[in-house]
This record gives sequence, structure tokens and C-alpha cells, in this order.
Amino acid sequence: MIDSNLWSWMSPVWVLVTILLLLYVRFVRGGSHLQWVACLVGLFVLAMAFVSPIGVLAGGYLFSAHMVQHLLLLLVVPACIVLSLPRETAERWFQKGPVNQLGKWLAVPMLGWTGGVGAMWFWHVPWLCSAATQHTGLGVVRDVSLVAAGLAFWWPIYAPCDRYRLPPLSGMTYLFSACLGCTLLGIYITFAPLSVCPVFANPVDRLGILTSLYSAGFTPGIDQHVGGLIMWVPPCILYTCAIISLLGRWYSSIDAAPTYATGSSTPSGA
Amino acid sequence: MFPVFQPESPQAQAIYDLFVIVLVISGVILAIVSLLVIIAIWRGRAKATLPEQDFGSHKSEIFWLVGPTIVVIWITAISAKLVLTINAVPKVHLSEAEAGEPNITVTGHQWWWEVQHDDSGIVAANEIYIPVGKRLRVKLQSADVIHCFWVPQLARKMDVIPGHDNYIWLEANKPGTYQGRCAEFCGTQHAWMNFKVYALESDEYSKWETNAKKAAADPVRADALAGKQLFFAHTCVNCHTIEGTEAEATIGPDLTHIASRKEIGGGVLENSTANLKLWMKNPQAIKPGSKMPDFNFNDRQVDQLVAYLESLE
Amino acid sequence: MSTQTVDQLDAPIAQSSWGLLSWVTTVDHKRVGLLYILFAIFFLVVGGLEAVLMRIQLAVPNNTFLSPEFFNQLFTMHGTTMVFLVGMPIFTGFSNFLVPLMIGAKDVAFPRLNAMSFWMLPFGAFLLYFSFLTGSAPDAGWFSYAPLSTKPYNLDTGIDYWILGLVVAGIGSIAGAINIVATVLCLRAPGMSLQRVPLFVWIMLMQAMLILITIPPLNSAIALLCIDRWLEAAFFEPVRGGSALLWQHFFWIFGHPEVYVFALPAFAMISEVIPVFSRKPIYGYAFVAGSSTVILLLSYGVWAHHMFAVGLGTSANIFFSAMTMLIALPTGVKIFNWTATMWGGAIQLTTAMLFAIAFLIQFVIGGLTGIMFAAVPIDWQMTDTYFVVAHFHYVLIGGILFAVFAAIYYWFPKITGHMLDERLGKWQFWLWVIGFNGTFMVQHFLGAMGMPRRVFTYADNPGWATLNAISSYSVIFMVLGTLVLVWNVVKSLIDGEKAGNNPWDAFTLEWATTSPPPTENFTSLPEIKSRRPVWDQTHPDHADWKHSKTPEDRGRRPDRARVCAWAFVISEAIFFALLIIAYVVFNFDQTGDGPSAVNSLNVERTGIFTLFLLSSSLTFMVAERSLRLGRQASFVTWLGITILFGVVFLAGQAWEYTDLLTSGVAIDTNLFASTFFTVTGFHGLHVTGGLVALAIMFALGRKQRVTQAQSKPFGAIGIYWHFVDVVWIVVFATIYLRVYQS
Repeated sequence: MIDSNLWSWMSPVWVLVTILLLLYVRFVRGGSHLQWVACLVGLFVLAMAFVSPIGVLAGGYLFSAHMVQHLLLLLVVPACIVLSLPRETAERWFQKGPVNQLGKWLAVPMLGWTGGVGAMWFWHVPWLCSAATQHTGLGVVRDVSLVAAGLAFWWPIYAPCDRYRLPPLSGMTYLFSACLGCTLLGIYITFAPLSVCPVFANPVDRLGILTSLYSAGFTPGIDQHVGGLIMWVPPCILYTCAIISLLGRWYSSIDAAPTYATGSSTPSGA
Repeated sequence: MFPVFQPESPQAQAIYDLFVIVLVISGVILAIVSLLVIIAIWRGRAKATLPEQDFGSHKSEIFWLVGPTIVVIWITAISAKLVLTINAVPKVHLSEAEAGEPNITVTGHQWWWEVQHDDSGIVAANEIYIPVGKRLRVKLQSADVIHCFWVPQLARKMDVIPGHDNYIWLEANKPGTYQGRCAEFCGTQHAWMNFKVYALESDEYSKWETNAKKAAADPVRADALAGKQLFFAHTCVNCHTIEGTEAEATIGPDLTHIASRKEIGGGVLENSTANLKLWMKNPQAIKPGSKMPDFNFNDRQVDQLVAYLESLE
Repeated sequence: MSTQTVDQLDAPIAQSSWGLLSWVTTVDHKRVGLLYILFAIFFLVVGGLEAVLMRIQLAVPNNTFLSPEFFNQLFTMHGTTMVFLVGMPIFTGFSNFLVPLMIGAKDVAFPRLNAMSFWMLPFGAFLLYFSFLTGSAPDAGWFSYAPLSTKPYNLDTGIDYWILGLVVAGIGSIAGAINIVATVLCLRAPGMSLQRVPLFVWIMLMQAMLILITIPPLNSAIALLCIDRWLEAAFFEPVRGGSALLWQHFFWIFGHPEVYVFALPAFAMISEVIPVFSRKPIYGYAFVAGSSTVILLLSYGVWAHHMFAVGLGTSANIFFSAMTMLIALPTGVKIFNWTATMWGGAIQLTTAMLFAIAFLIQFVIGGLTGIMFAAVPIDWQMTDTYFVVAHFHYVLIGGILFAVFAAIYYWFPKITGHMLDERLGKWQFWLWVIGFNGTFMVQHFLGAMGMPRRVFTYADNPGWATLNAISSYSVIFMVLGTLVLVWNVVKSLIDGEKAGNNPWDAFTLEWATTSPPPTENFTSLPEIKSRRPVWDQTHPDHADWKHSKTPEDRGRRPDRARVCAWAFVISEAIFFALLIIAYVVFNFDQTGDGPSAVNSLNVERTGIFTLFLLSSSLTFMVAERSLRLGRQASFVTWLGITILFGVVFLAGQAWEYTDLLTSGVAIDTNLFASTFFTVTGFHGLHVTGGLVALAIMFALGRKQRVTQAQSKPFGAIGIYWHFVDVVWIVVFATIYLRVYQS
């Protein structure tokens, strides 16, 4: 992994990261330490998703690396972005009618859920998965759509303004059902024969590392197996952590009832 | 006495080492919890006043979670590291489905083990001969239901599953006899589906190999000859193989070298003339439910058959 | 379920008679709960006697006391009995009795459904035990691993009775769980927010939800096994393309959460007993409650740790090992919380508390050996040996059964109005501690000696005879302890000390009423301002709400008919999800010989019939709206159209089936045909069920018996009907639309 071939230092993602960082410094006021940490971690992860071996191997070598990248973009980066927004700043931004409308719209749980879980399923339709790996343009579309879907997914849980958040019990249901959704996909990928993303079954050896990968045990069968498990286990752990945070929020909601934009009052919607 | 704690192969040794670590950790945790509970009882048992109504603090709870979390992560890590080293599945591109050739193929049957030495072509039952210090790849397959191949002193346990080949490494550090058993419930006589692994020095091993390759010689003694006729006149051939004869079925164990085996019936009896006779008289009395029916042989027939079998060395 | 929701409103009639018939016809949650508990205790004795027989057989090497066949039947029946006829009902019983009392409700949400859930159980038990009379009880182990449980290797009818018994008992369990969920969510007394319910109630709510999602995988597995055995499909027959491992996956997706179905209630009981006898509130309520929720979530992702030895592959082993280690954490948290609750408390060593303390230590031992099994290489050595037998008996007896004993001593006064004798109680406690540890501690060593589980006898290997003898003789102590308990109960019922309302000076609402409680449970309720309303009442100076704020009740209570429908739909969804997974597993490759989706199905035609089914959802919505607005005629018309569309869809399916069958594609043809008929067949059955419910509504609607007032229960049927459509969309996509992919 120290092999310089495996790092892509010249990735254009640095530009994006710099811009985002500047924007954060310029426009976000009153961020707490934790929000700064969230922002920096998010940007670091975003950079690493493309610069580190994960990004390089995801480019046609390893399905499992592709899966890690996928999860970083869909779950980790957006969660960090949403968490890095301080309440006051966000309240100011979302005061205006159309922006508020957008916030409300994003808070519709069906939308976020479909976005988050749907993006996972959609980009693993075999020919789409291969095409997005082989064509840079489509690849960019995929990566952007993953981050966007991730933002929509985390919005009802961690939106900076309370009014966009789901009530905790509904939020838990939301996360748990998402966990079931990615579990099903994980099971499918783990136990499917070699067909989920055909391009990884017969990689083009651009960097001349294929043999060392295979001899390290990452044959396509094992690779897909690992990919499926990555799709399955880490997201579920992440969702569980989010559920724990919601539980904490729920048990400590001693103050008067906050107002919610959406969400039914039936915690049984489970 | 404790085969799990008397490892005789690098693999079993590694598992044993891990086990000891986890046992020690567990012991410490148990001691801490017990101690805390005992102290709490001791200090609280005579308290008459109303204790302070303490609802708990998240800080201390999280603090107490840190320790267990570290322990758990650490155990996961060291066991995962060990798992990565014990994989015997041949590393090849799966689309070129041809797997690395196994040295031994073991097939589980209800309730005995068929052992095929792929290097030499020798077939045996319930006995595996291996040379000391050599790591052998064993392919496990099943002819009927799920069994489990387990030699605690030498290797991990591995299920034997119909339609799903499994591989393990088998290796012994020093010569000796190692007990193996079926560990997955597989029907009526699951209890008597034992086998033994004999680890031999290489010269001993090649001696065994040459001897085992020989086909069965025709018996010379008259009663043995009569036994042979009986064998082929009855339905014995429908289930058993004797190399060099027309008997070549694989429902029951291969009998080519039955006389040199140490046990019969999956470990239910020592192999001796008396015990063989007991078995031939009525296998269902020795191993009820076994696939070998009671042929109602009379004593003379039993004597003749056993004489024949004992000639198969 | 539909009819239940309609007549739930006229509450059950109060019963005061104690005759036998009154017990059979009762719908009072306390009596039903008691029936559950008595039923479970009866089978605890039966299963216990089976264990005694096995221990006699194993007391000496090469024993011939039992035949191998009978021994195998015994351990199969012992496991099945303990899991399905003891473990499930005993906790459902306590939950039935206590949950409504603890939340200040009059009864459970659906009293008649509750009675039905219970009576399913004796029926299931009868089917299971009837197999003994046929001469062949099931003998493939309680997890009935295929292919050993399939026809080629198991011709007798034992497994068939096992299948029937489990399905019947399973349906009862799901209905019971729905009831608990609806009760807790809908019937809490004013002031009792969900964050304020006693831990017992919260954890039992989690357990009920877990039952809802954990029984369906078992039903799916059993459905496949049943089709294999009765209709000659080959799901589990490797020779004909089936998979021997699929059963294990499905079974353990059920089987592992099932462990938590038992463990959670034990946690629930201990979380009530320890605080009361430490005179303190539970330390860290939110952690105990929250960790139960986390266990519920994680328990579904760890099943494969039962399969480390089957050769799943390195990565799967490591991932499942990590998940299993993770689930140890929320369990470990609880041990800490209980210990911290005792710390600094005024400990009263009553029998109940003694059992709770023994639970704590013994459960830790069982938990630590559990950690060992989560470390894959150790599992490779110790699984399927007596070490694992010792491990799960430490969890199930040392942990869970001891918690049940604690619960019996703690709540017996409330249930009967009489105290149990403490001196006899302590006798029982010590007999059980000695007997249990004597029996099972040595089995750890037997495992290390290499003794596999489920062997009917063993050779005289060094050490085996001694340890097995110790194990067997220790059973005597447990038997004596049980006799002491029986004697204690009898003695108490005859001339036991009167209990009074609150003999333990306990905290939760069940102690605010008389012992035993009246039929309507409460004459008046104390004000609920904290998690310990009775404590607040008895210790006004130290009332909880003065020191520790808890979220206020906002008065929201969902409609119980809807909760019921949702809960039912979730469990059905999981059932179908597993069947569809089975379809996908067996139809990855659509190009092989023989019938397949590509060469056998008429996608366009089925597409048209699909439109009918989907439109029926729309027409249903119109009907529902009409009912809500009180337009009776329009309601009946649209409902009629809905039924018509449903029937058209079924006719389409019948047409398709006829085509397939006449062209020689039957359920036993190949795996495509088997999975196709299984998935669509079960869906068809559900459509039929829905149509029956709709037809009843239609008939009642025409007689003006379903009117505006019933629009909520009617909406609940709607949830089910829409669900059936959604399932079909998924089925259509996976089976029919995939045809275009190839």
C-alpha cells in the first residue's frame, strides 16, 4: 500500500476540497469545535476517497475498494457535512422562503430514504456499475449523485434545524429500515456469482499490480465477497450508531415538545 | 486427556495460544465482576437506612464501556489475524475453476469416513495415514448429510457438506495416533463415526504406502476361501470394495486391507477376530441403525467370512 | 385479524367464576398470562425429564439404557420443547400478566386475539408430542439441519409433526407479540410517556418486536422444508441442485435473534428485581433500555456465527465475528448497570434477589464463553462439543431460568395474593446453584476433552466417565430443588402468608393494586410523573420527579388497529423477503436446461393482470375515503370493484398455473419451478386471505354493519391489502422483469 503507484496525488478532488474549505471558513460562523472536526474529517475523507489507494483500486481493480469509496461518499462525507453546520448559521440560511422550502422538501423521509438506499441499489445494476467505472463522465455523475443522495438521507436525522428533523422514534425506524435495505443488497452481492459488476471480474491491468493483488488473495470471487460484506456490515454499524444517538436525544428530550416539520405521530410506523 | 489443550500441529498450536489468551482475559473479567458484586452485597447487606437514590451518570457509564470495547476489539483483531493464516482454500482465479489439487480427499458417509490418498490412489476407511511434518491439503466432501471433520490435536474443525467442498490443512509435528471424530449430528450413529490419524516418520510412511498399494491376494486357507465364496454369493459386493476383485461399491467402507485396521465400525470395536465375529454375527446389535443389515449368518459362515476378511492385510 | 379489530371495541365481559370452563373461555390478560406460565412450567418439567433420561444414558460409558434412535429423539424434543414450549410461553405469560398492570391499562389491546394466541400453543404442543405416539418423534436435532431432515434421510413422520407443531406455535407467538406491541404503544395510562415505562415494559416491547421479525424466517425455512418433504421439491437436496447451507442461513436468521427473545425478558426481570431489593432506582435507565434496543437491531446481523465451521469463507467469518463481538457490548453494559445499581444500595437478600445475583454471575460466565465462540478459531475447536452445550446452558439455565425463578419469587405474591416461604426458597436456591453448576461446569472440560455434543454414548476415554458421572449425578440436586419449589407453591396456596398490595415496597404500578388484582386491574391509579410512580407515592419526600426529570407524556396514542396491521405486515414482509431471496439464490443463472423464467413465463400477460391488482389498491383507497366521509353506497360499490379486481388477478394466476402445469412444469420439476410456485403461491394465498377479509367487509357493509364509525379498523385492512400489492410489485420485478435482463 506504500507503493506510489497506488496513490493519485494529482486528483482534481483537491480543488473541490479547497473550495469547500474556503466556503466553510468564509460563510460558516460560530462553528463549535466538534463541528470543525466534522468538517475537517468530512473533507479529509472526501479527499482520501479519491487520492488514497481506495480511489485508485476502485478504478477498475477491486470491487471491494469501489464499495468502500461508495460508502464513504454516500454515508460518511454527507454525514460530516450535515453535522458540520452550526444551528445559528443554518437558521439564518433557511429563513428565506425558497430555501426553507428546500429544507422542508429534503425533510420528507420517503425522499431521503429512497435517495440513500436507492442510490446503493441503482448504481449496482450490473451494466451501470461497469459503465460508471469505465467512463469518467458517468463516474463523476455517480460520485456527485452519491454525495447528494447521502445529504438527502442524513437530512431528516441530523439537519441543523430541529424543524427538519424526524422525531427520534420515527428516525430510528427510518434508519433501521435503511439498514435492512442495505443488508438485502449486501446478501445479494455477497452470495451472487460473479456478475454484480462485470468490469471487476476481468480488470484491465493499467498499473501492473494485478498479480500481486491476486497472490494477496484478492481474486475476483473473494473480492466481490468482501465487497458485499462491506456493503452490509459497516453501514449497519453506522446506522446503529446513529440510532444510539437518536436514543440519547429521545431520552433527554425533557424540554417542551419541539415542533417537527414532518413525521407522523405513530412511533409504530416501524 | 485434553486434546484441545495438547496441540500437535502449528495450526492447533496457534488456536491454543489464542484460546489461552482469551481464557485469561475472561478469567480476569469474571473475577472483577464477581468481586464488585460481592463487595456490593457485603457493604449493603446490613444497611437499614435509605440509600442515596442514584440515577446513574452517562460519564461513568461511557467510562466503563471503554475497557470492554478495547478488549473486544483486540480479541477480534487477533482472532481475525489467525483466521487469515488458516485458509486452505486454493488461491486461484475462480473463473478457472480448477482448484489446487488436494493431497487427501475425505468423504463423509453415514457413519464412516472414506479416505482417498490422491497422491498414491490408496483408499481406506476411518484411518488416515500422514507423514510427519508435511502440510497436507485435505478436501472434504459428503456423500449424504452434513458431517464435521475434527481432529482436535491437529487441525480446526470443518463441516463436511454435500454439494459444497471444503478444504483444511492437516499436519502433525510428531509421530503418533490422533483421535478424530464427527462433530456434527448426522443421524442415528453419529456417536460412532470416529476415525484416527496416524502420523508416521517418512520411511515408515513409505513402507505403509507400498504395502497399502498392493491389491488383495487370494486367500490360501480353506475356510478363508469358503468365506470369499460366501462374500461374493451374498450381497456384500453391493456395498463394499475389495481391490482386485469385482467388489467395487462405495456405500460401505473399502475392505481391501480390513485386516490391518485397528478399529471397526467407526470406532465402536477394536479390530480383533472375536470382535469381527461379533460384528458379522449381527452388526445391528453392535451398531444399531448402521447401514449394514443383519444377514443371519450361522456360526460357521461367520467363521469363514472372518477368516476371509482377516486374510485381507 | 380483521374481525378482531372490529369487535375489540365491546370489551370482554368481566368474569368472576373460577370454574374450569371459565379458564378455557377467559380473555382476561391475567388469566391468559397465568395459563401461559402454567403451560410453560408443565413443559419445563417434561423437557427436564427428557434431559434427566439423557443424563442417565450418559452417566456411564457404552451405556445401553436408551437406544440411539430414542436418544436422538429425546435431545431433539428436549431442545424443541425448551425453546418453543417453555422459553417462548413463559415470557409471553409474564409479559401478558404484567405489562398491562405496569402501564396502568385494563387489559391488553386485543383480548380475544390474546386468548387465541394462547390456545394455538397447546394445539402446536399436541401436534409435536403426538409424534411419540406415531412411533417416531422428530430426531434431527432442534435445528433440523437439512439434508438430514429431508425425505431421503428421514422417512418417518416425526419431522412432519415438528413442522406442523412449530408453524402453529409460531403463528400464536406472532399474534401474541402483536398484542404486546399494540398494548404498550396504545394503552399506557395518562402521564406514562414511552420514556417512563418500567424497564420490564420497554424490554418486553423490544422482545415482542424481535419476535415479529424473527419468527418469519423460521416460517420461510419451514415452508421450504415442507415443500421439499411433501411435494418433492429439492431446495435442500444438493444432488438435484439444492443447497444444504440455505437451511442453516434461514434457520439461524431465526435462531440467533431467538436467543435474544429469551435473553431480553430475563434482562427485563432482573432490571425490576435488583433495584427493588437494593432500594435504589436502576442505574442508568437510558443505557439499559437503549442497549436493549441496540441488541434488537444487531441481533439480526450475527446469525452466521453459528456457521463458522461450515466454510463460509475468510471474510464472512471475520465480519460476522466482529458483529458478534459488537453485540457483546450492549449486553456488557447491562451487567455494569446492574452491578452499579447494587453498589451502595441496601441489599435485601430475599430468594428473588439471590436468584438475581446468581443470574448475574452465571450469565457473565455464559457470556464470556460466548465471546470465546465469537473468536472464530476458538469456535473452530469448541463448537459442536460439550463446551458449547455448557455455554448455552449457562446462558439459558444459569442466566435465563434463574431470572425466571427470581421473577416467580418476586411476582408470586402479586399473582396469587400469597407469599412464598423464604426458607424453602433458599433451600431451592442452593440446591439449584449446586445442581446447575455441578452439571454444566464440568461439561466445559468434557468439551476440551473432545466430546462432541449429541452422542448417545461414548467410549471409556480417560476422564470422560468421571466427568460425565459428576454431570449426571448433579442433576439430582436440580430435581430436588424443583420439588422444593412445587412444595413451596402448594404450601403457599394452602396457607401462605397474605401478601397485601405491595409486600416488597416495590416501585412500579402493578404494586398499586390489590394482590391478586381485580378483573379491571385498578380502582384508581396514582399520578404518574416519573418512572417509579409507586415509589413516589410511598416516599413522597424522595419522589423521583423532584430529582430526575423524565420526558413528559404528550398524550399521543396511535390507533391500535393500525398498529396491529403494521406489525402484522412487517412480519409478513420478512417472510416474503426470505422466500424471494430463495428465488434469487436458485435462479441466478437463467440460461440452464429445463424450464426457467425466460422460457416458461408469459410476462406481458401477467403484466396485464398485475395492472388489475395494482388498480385494486386505488379502488380500495376510494372505498376507504367514501367510508370515512359516510357515503355508504359508494363505499360498497368501490369495495365490490376492489374485490372484482382481486378476483381477476387470481384468475390470471390460475390461467398461468394451468399453462405451466399442462406444459409439464410442476413444483417438483426443477428449482426454478419450485421457487416460482412457492413465491407466487404464497402470494396468491395472501391475496385470497385479503379477499376473504374484503368480502366479509362487503357483506357487512351492505347490511350497514360497517359504517363510518368503523373506518379505522377498515383502514387497517387497507394496510394489509396495499402490502399484498407491494409484495407483488417486488415479485413481479424479481421474477418477471428479470427475464429482460438476459
